[in-house]
Amino acid sequence: MRKTRIVARSVWKTAEGRFSVVVLGIWIAVSLLSLVWTPCSLWSTDGYDTWASPSTRHWLGTDGTGADVFSWLMAGSRTDLVIAVLATMFSAALGFLLIGMTASRSNVFSNMSVVLIDALISIPTILIALVLAVPLGASVAVVVIACGIGHGLNLARVCRPQALLAARSGHAKSALSAGAGGRYVLLHHVLPNILPTLIVQLSLSAGTAVLAESGLTYLGVGVPSGVPSWGHSLATSVKFVDVFPITVIWPGLLVTVVVVALNMFGDCLRNAVDPVSNAMLRKNGAVGASEEGKSR
Amino acid sequence: MLRGSHGPISFGVRFEKFRACHIIVVAVDPSGGEHLAYQLIMAKSAALEAVALPGDGEPWTGLARRNMASTQGAHDFDGATTNRGVSNRKRGNESLTEGHVPASMDPALQARARHELPTYDVWKSNHKSKLWVLAIMTMVVAMVVLAFVRPPARGGDGRPAGFQTQSAQRVSIGLKLAPANLDIRNQSGSSLDQVLIGNVYEGIVARDSNNKVVPALAKSWVVSNDALRYTFTMNTGMTFSNGDRLNAEDAAWSVNELVKRGYHDAQLLKHFESAKALDNSTLQIVLTAPYSDLLWVLTGRPGLVFDRHARYDMKTQAIGSGPYTVERFVPNSSLTLVANSRYRGPYRAKTASIVLHYYNDDNAAINALKSGDIQVLAPITQSLSGPFDRDSTNYDVKVGEGTDKFVLAMNCKGSKTSDVRIREAIRMAIDHKAIVASRGGVDRLMGGPIAPLDPGYEDLGARVSHTDVRRAAKLLKEAGYDRQNPLALRLEYANIYGTELGDQLRSQLREIGINLQVHVVEFSTWMQDVYTNKNYDLSLVDHNESHDFSQWADRGYYYNYDNPEVRNLYDQAMSATTEARKSELLQRAARVVSSDSPADWLFNYRITTVMRSGVSGFPINMNQALMPLWNVTFTHE
Repeated sequence: MRKTRIVARSVWKTAEGRFSVVVLGIWIAVSLLSLVWTPCSLWSTDGYDTWASPSTRHWLGTDGTGADVFSWLMAGSRTDLVIAVLATMFSAALGFLLIGMTASRSNVFSNMSVVLIDALISIPTILIALVLAVPLGASVAVVVIACGIGHGLNLARVCRPQALLAARSGHAKSALSAGAGGRYVLLHHVLPNILPTLIVQLSLSAGTAVLAESGLTYLGVGVPSGVPSWGHSLATSVKFVDVFPITVIWPGLLVTVVVVALNMFGDCLRNAVDPVSNAMLRKNGAVGASEEGKSR
Repeated sequence: MLRGSHGPISFGVRFEKFRACHIIVVAVDPSGGEHLAYQLIMAKSAALEAVALPGDGEPWTGLARRNMASTQGAHDFDGATTNRGVSNRKRGNESLTEGHVPASMDPALQARARHELPTYDVWKSNHKSKLWVLAIMTMVVAMVVLAFVRPPARGGDGRPAGFQTQSAQRVSIGLKLAPANLDIRNQSGSSLDQVLIGNVYEGIVARDSNNKVVPALAKSWVVSNDALRYTFTMNTGMTFSNGDRLNAEDAAWSVNELVKRGYHDAQLLKHFESAKALDNSTLQIVLTAPYSDLLWVLTGRPGLVFDRHARYDMKTQAIGSGPYTVERFVPNSSLTLVANSRYRGPYRAKTASIVLHYYNDDNAAINALKSGDIQVLAPITQSLSGPFDRDSTNYDVKVGEGTDKFVLAMNCKGSKTSDVRIREAIRMAIDHKAIVASRGGVDRLMGGPIAPLDPGYEDLGARVSHTDVRRAAKLLKEAGYDRQNPLALRLEYANIYGTELGDQLRSQLREIGINLQVHVVEFSTWMQDVYTNKNYDLSLVDHNESHDFSQWADRGYYYNYDNPEVRNLYDQAMSATTEARKSELLQRAARVVSSDSPADWLFNYRITTVMRSGVSGFPINMNQALMPLWNVTFTHE
């Protein structure tokens, strides 16, 4: 508990940490708020008031159908939040499974999984998404699965060396000889060691999931028509960037700020949970992330 | 250069100078490019380290040694030493000599460094930081200015505009849909008709800008009283672009080949019996039954005359008798037409060369028009034409008639849409005027299946100009649905039409208690689901054909619409012997179709064309179906 407090304080202490926490906090708050309230109904269009400039009625103007851009962006934030969370969870699950396989005691299994990851990592995420769009059509699942696969593989590849070191270390071996099972070693000795890297990678994949949503929706294989998302707002207005540039700026700005915040948050969290970089953790003796803490 | 061991103090001094001199370089010598950028980055990282690391207790010597590398880089750079000292000459001179003297030997420098180092701050507002800010601001202003300044417009032949008035030898035209190849006998797609008919190939007869039949290769024709024999008198002295003579034999051979081999659009030539040349200049077409659309059909692909002696690859070449010949065809990119020197007809090309460029992306097309790469853009999305409309000294924006009908088909055999009350409720609830307004306000309300340039047109726009949500809701209630118990319908359409129409329809139909699920799909998926399997509730298609009323008389068409009265009226219209009678019958049939509501006609799309001032003779009406270019000229100053 004390450790959590220290980590939170360390994150808040840095400017980047504060910025990212504030942005992510607003994101989540707006997503929840959009469930019950938006300034205008999402389903009201007005053919006589298209591409309107920002006004008191439409804070960020209207789009090509006369719908309120601010309301759509508000509602879009919850779609993007769901996509980011699901994609991150999916990639974490897949990545951790693959890490478990690569760090496995069976040499054949371990080598095979490395070859498999290397082969699969060469397939671009966008290609996976396009292939998935054939049976699934344009849907949130396409974005989540494609990002999950892409980042899960990446995660496994990046974390593998550290996971191997931890799995082959003396304390892991002694735990095994003391009768601990493979799963126990993985969760209690390998996971704490790769946690800092894992956090950075997962924050990156959350950011990339938001970007991927925008890109895939623009290509027509992401979020289906009628579901509000930042990619949808971008895709419908980008054609008119020459004439109504202001309408394109809002979703673009939003995606940029959120992705930057996610990446910064990952960095700060990494610095905060890693006792090597966070002196506060060391000073207070709340070292739990390394094997020392666990072996007590 | 700096060598040997250096204490923290000497680093402090050196670093400060390094920073100052580089800012001067940015202002004086922007060509410094990459090297400079690299060094600035080095400067920044050094600054960060200088601020961040000492607190962690790292030995100062190590820090200084690490930063030596970047300092050395600065001194290696010519501009860094030669341009320094504009405002910091004294420091600059110190730095020049310092390169060869160990810094710690200069007590004055040591003193200053000792004084300055602890309070060092990149953003501190001393005069050097101001230079930083000034340089950044200059760069930002320069970038903003560059973003808004456009290169001077150029004429079609690459000459800068504003020189002297003259007619261009080449006119470039931007189009949207590109033909896959040039084989007009086999390849489908209206983009082929658009560029080849009337320009490269000519028909027995042609269409004018009002969609009426006019003479072309045939100068006149006589129709027998029973409307079964059409006798055409051909022009004389005509040749193909390869020099071969063109006479009635070629025309008869072309029509017979079309029917025999089943080339594209052969099915349009209904009740055809034979085509033969009575002599060199007389062609006779015989029908088994009257067919009032025959002459109009002959203005399209079925009436084209090919050289029966020529052997060439029709996919990449074209030998016709029109005012232009194909010089070069680059699939999906461009088609170059040059004037046919052997052409002796009345439509002699006025411009020596015309290049057609194809742009998938609207923004790319608009940029090409702005930069002068093209002089005409057809079509342009109406909402995007605003800036050109306002700049009337440089551009002309024209809106032409078209035969495109945006049809919201409602499956007449669908599980829910088979109920005519539901179909009528939908038509009543749609705010057609708002849809047209959102698209720029130039499209036309239709209310019925026939477009203005087609026979049988009658303005039924009044039928849909008034939106009656209350009556629509009442009708829907009779059918068993309301807002509490909404009717779920699926609208499936191809993604080429964008998502806006679906969003608007969903929003408008929601008012009366219809929950519209919009599925915007690939064209091939739409073909499979809707066109082939007829498995849909609602679908949206731009039917751009002309003289296409037959779809409402075809029971097998994807509308699933079947009304014997309409079929009967259509058959009568097709066997009518006069145009007036045909129009009257089609008008009646159209009214019946409209009152049955098998679909809603959202609007008649009108084509917006933007031209640079000085372009004349470009067709405005129907230019996506037929685009005769012989009259096009571009006079630039």
